[in-house]
Amino acid sequence: MEDFLFELYDLIQSAADGVLFGSTYALIGIGFTLIFGAMEKLNMSYAASSFAGAYTGLAVLSYFDAPFLVVLLSAVLSAGVVSYVVYLTCFRFIPVHNHLASLMASVGMLFFIDEVIIHATNASPLAFPALFDEVMIEIGPFGLRGDLIFIFAISMLSTVALLLLLFRTRLGFATRAVSQQGVAAQLCGIDIHRTNGITFIIAGMLGGVGGAMIGASVGMLSPLLTIPVTVKGLIVTVIGGLGNIPGAIVAGFLVGASENLFLFLRGVNERDMYVMLLLFVFLVFRPHGIFSRRSERD
Amino acid sequence: MLRKKLFRIGLSCAVATGMLLGLMTVTHAAERVVNLAGWGAKSGVLRSFGVNSEAVYHAAIKEVNDAGGIKMGDGTMAKIELTYYDSACNAEQGIAVARKVASTTQALVGFGPTCSGVAAASFGIFQKKVDDASDSGLQFPILTDTAVRNGLAKISQWTFRNTPNEPDMYDKLFAWVRKNNPDLKTMFGGTETDQGHSKGTYAKVIGPAAKKHGFTWATGEIPAMTGQIAKGWKELLDSSSNWLMNDTNFSVQARKFKKSKADILIVSSHPFTTCGMLKELARQRVKPKVLIGLTSSSSAETMKGCAKQAEGMIIPTSFAPITPQAKKVAELAEQFGGAADLHSAAAWENIFIVKRVIEETGIIGKPGTLQSDRRKMRDGLEALENTVGLMGNIKRVQDEGEALKPYVFVQAKLGNWEVVYDPR
Repeated sequence: MEDFLFELYDLIQSAADGVLFGSTYALIGIGFTLIFGAMEKLNMSYAASSFAGAYTGLAVLSYFDAPFLVVLLSAVLSAGVVSYVVYLTCFRFIPVHNHLASLMASVGMLFFIDEVIIHATNASPLAFPALFDEVMIEIGPFGLRGDLIFIFAISMLSTVALLLLLFRTRLGFATRAVSQQGVAAQLCGIDIHRTNGITFIIAGMLGGVGGAMIGASVGMLSPLLTIPVTVKGLIVTVIGGLGNIPGAIVAGFLVGASENLFLFLRGVNERDMYVMLLLFVFLVFRPHGIFSRRSERD
Repeated sequence: MLRKKLFRIGLSCAVATGMLLGLMTVTHAAERVVNLAGWGAKSGVLRSFGVNSEAVYHAAIKEVNDAGGIKMGDGTMAKIELTYYDSACNAEQGIAVARKVASTTQALVGFGPTCSGVAAASFGIFQKKVDDASDSGLQFPILTDTAVRNGLAKISQWTFRNTPNEPDMYDKLFAWVRKNNPDLKTMFGGTETDQGHSKGTYAKVIGPAAKKHGFTWATGEIPAMTGQIAKGWKELLDSSSNWLMNDTNFSVQARKFKKSKADILIVSSHPFTTCGMLKELARQRVKPKVLIGLTSSSSAETMKGCAKQAEGMIIPTSFAPITPQAKKVAELAEQFGGAADLHSAAAWENIFIVKRVIEETGIIGKPGTLQSDRRKMRDGLEALENTVGLMGNIKRVQDEGEALKPYVFVQAKLGNWEVVYDPR
């Protein structure tokens, strides 16, 4: 009985850790989904530009010994700039209907940004300032990491801020108009390119928060992070429903929890297999995402 | 009159120019060059390994060239030139570079690669046995500095390594741990299962070495593990708490470490996940009596990433800047834009091994003698019984093409790796 209880505690703790860690996936997933919502295009270099921002923050830290808030701010601003450059190079001048071209351009940009980081740092993992790293909130037999709770709160705040931006501001109105009916929006005097550009900057800034938060939670930045976070971000975006921001948040938690549960139950070699299986299940049975009212397929 | 004078001046200029050109040609002809090739990861996530090796190679080459170069078989002094290629950590790229270097360059010998997986794949394209007419594999000598997985040089008689001998080092390490901690009984650990070196060394070397010296698996005996190298390695992996090399969340694994209540914990991975795992162990307040790490983690990267959490970790290493020569190489490596560690330091030794073989076997180093020179280099490498290393004498295991390098045990103390045992 005691053994069973221990196993049960472990299972619950694993799920709780996963949910909290999933908030980092959620932050990246929101960015993917925001851009998809605005342009109906996937920006594969999103996680890479987020980490580029985080690395810039780290550079500010090492050159000026700046406090964490300045590091975070630098990460946010520079990720916004990198994201805008990605927009200009991979989306702005590529014909709107050529989805494959922009997709492949952003894949190229992903590897380009990653390799720039690798050459700048010699691919050495660099220590990133941890935030509330040693804080453990203990509730009975369970423990929750302070830094992950902070990231959890940041994800929630980011979602609220984004939803307010989309539904309470003129920019949000324009973004939604462009995403729903580009030509009609243009006829109403909305500058599509400007709106898309600003969307990329906002998504990039959010990515900067995500990159810095992932760096803070891991305590290090490494080029090793880019590809797995890109993959997780995409899974979260698809499970959450392309373009659905609350969906991305919930999917982030779901993917994080599933990952940890499968790791606990089946070990590391099978873990990702089951996460991919989860993605297939959603693609087959709920292709429009977790909160979609429509479950039918074309 | 003027025309005559101009003619004389012109003639003098032409003669002078001709003599100068002739002299330059003679000088050029006398300046023989020994071409060497190296390859390793200069792009991708293991770039630091290639950068460090290349830096140390160039530092060593400058040392040799500044001292006059290498005396060739015909008495000519030759300078060394190295071309270092990027094979990333990619088997196909490594094979392509090996083929290119062997077939289209004048390189006498090749150094590399970085990754054990690349070495395992690319060594397969070399002639397995010398003089086997039925084997059309590459006949080009390789002297590896970094790829460290156990037993790779045996793949071909053209491949040699000057890498740490992990079975020997971990065997001695656990003997030392046993001697100093007779009360310790149990062990538990994990590795990054998608990284050949970490996984192979953990399952085939570290685990069996610990077993050999009387430590038992904390969560229950593993009968297949006998203490012999590689025996029961699959069962050990199945019983361990593992992760992948780009993982960022270690909570589940660390809890299994904690639950094992083992006296000795083994974290067999490279710095990025070593630090992630150690940080999670610290968060979960896991305090092992002895913490053992993988050779590759005895680096500055681990100290930069998690000095506090790594405190006390013990690792065997074949390089530490504790001899005057090793200190000098560490400084020179920095000047050349890299760092000397247990992998890259071998690059320095390799250049001096090649110099010695050239001088002892009478290699000529002319384009027409390339094939015979390569063969002499191979035979010379195989014949070596001992070489001079930065930490002392290196014994060559001749029939295997491997090295038995001097080693020390280092321990993480206050942000530095300190030597805690020096058997040299």
